Amino acid sequence: MVKLYGFSGSTCTRLVALICKEKNIPYELTSVNLSKGEQKAASHTAIQPFGQVPYIDDDGFILYESRAIARYLSKKYPNQGTSLIPSDPKAEALFEQAASIETFNFSVIVGPIVGEKVFKPRRGLQPDEERVSELLASLQSKMDAYEVILSKQKYLAGDSVTIADLCHLPYGTAFYGLGGSFAEVFDSRPSLSRWWKDISSRPAWLAVKDGA
Amino acid sequence: MVKLYGAPAVSTCTRLVALICKEKNIPYEVIQVNMAKGEHKAASFTAIQPFGEVPYIDDDGFILYESRAIARYLIKKYPNQGTPLIPSDPKAQALFEQAASVEVFNFTNFVQPIVFEKVFKPRFGLQPNEERVGEALKTLQEKLDVYEVILSKQKYLAGDFLTLADLFHLPYGTVFYTNGFAEVFDSRPNLARWWKDISNRPAWLAVKDGA
Repeated sequence: MVKLYGFSGSTCTRLVALICKEKNIPYELTSVNLSKGEQKAASHTAIQPFGQVPYIDDDGFILYESRAIARYLSKKYPNQGTSLIPSDPKAEALFEQAASIETFNFSVIVGPIVGEKVFKPRRGLQPDEERVSELLASLQSKMDAYEVILSKQKYLAGDSVTIADLCHLPYGTAFYGLGGSFAEVFDSRPSLSRWWKDISSRPAWLAVKDGA
Repeated sequence: MVKLYGAPAVSTCTRLVALICKEKNIPYEVIQVNMAKGEHKAASFTAIQPFGEVPYIDDDGFILYESRAIARYLIKKYPNQGTPLIPSDPKAQALFEQAASVEVFNFTNFVQPIVFEKVFKPRFGLQPNEERVGEALKTLQEKLDVYEVILSKQKYLAGDFLTLADLFHLPYGTVFYTNGFAEVFDSRPNLARWWKDISNRPAWLAVKDGA
């Protein structure tokens, strides 16, 4: 049984839980309470030196960074549950291309928006609205490129879902949930909207989106 | 021959791909994309790379963009040639993926905005946003304290062997290091040792000033 150390509400913890659900991998969540700062305790940083969640203990093998964990588990169980990383070299390269797109053309922009508009208020802080506007403006041209890509193929790496699509879900859901001009970024683009609706309705995501 | 479409003199990501080709003894041909003239935003370019970014490769008709994806593809295509850069053992590979993720989220995420403000903006006559630089630098320092701990126990970021994850740090890291921020690395002994090691690799020296 994979031991998942994280916080039920944490975006990255829920990504790992999602992969476990997709791959039918049993896991057990041990809570690291972020609101109590447990991730900064010496007992945690001895294992995850950046003081972040999640990490896994897979029969004694420790791994952190949710995207690394996702890849490791997907490759460990290639024939179980949903296939999430292609094995053909060119298909795998296109998966890596999509995974890199998710990181640099989505998450680096959406993450900070969610940080400002969702996480800061939880800590009693004011969002930096000027920064949010700048970030939102830069996201639009990226999403125009997504629209072009997704008008030609079903998912970001081709016609099958991969980890690259799923990595958008945790931060993307928080972003979309802000409604208004944020949800509009997806809703106003037909192919992007189709893709978003598809991945965000996956049973595995619905099972973990409100808590790993 | 791999055709590398990019701008090695100005593009960090183009230099990463050139580096991997050198490490793996893969012959490549650079086809210059004139970014100063906005060639990367032209319709003929965005038809291939929809984000209007460099580089991309054409490997015998197979088109691929995102430098980290290109690096991985080339390394996996030629496993027995040049430097081994991605382990095949599942656990070692997972630790490589862990280090590769650390590079993005705990290094480049903070180094890139600093470099953008202090090095790239001035090239266009724009003023750096010193507040952004300060914030990013503060967080980077905390992250590099952790790098110091990791690198005090092992030679490279994924273990005792060099991997692609270490090399990922070179393009932005070099611009950062050589533009007034050397002390950030030099003040941390293990980090400094690791940086000196990777930044002096012949393959990097061959491409660092423009592939």
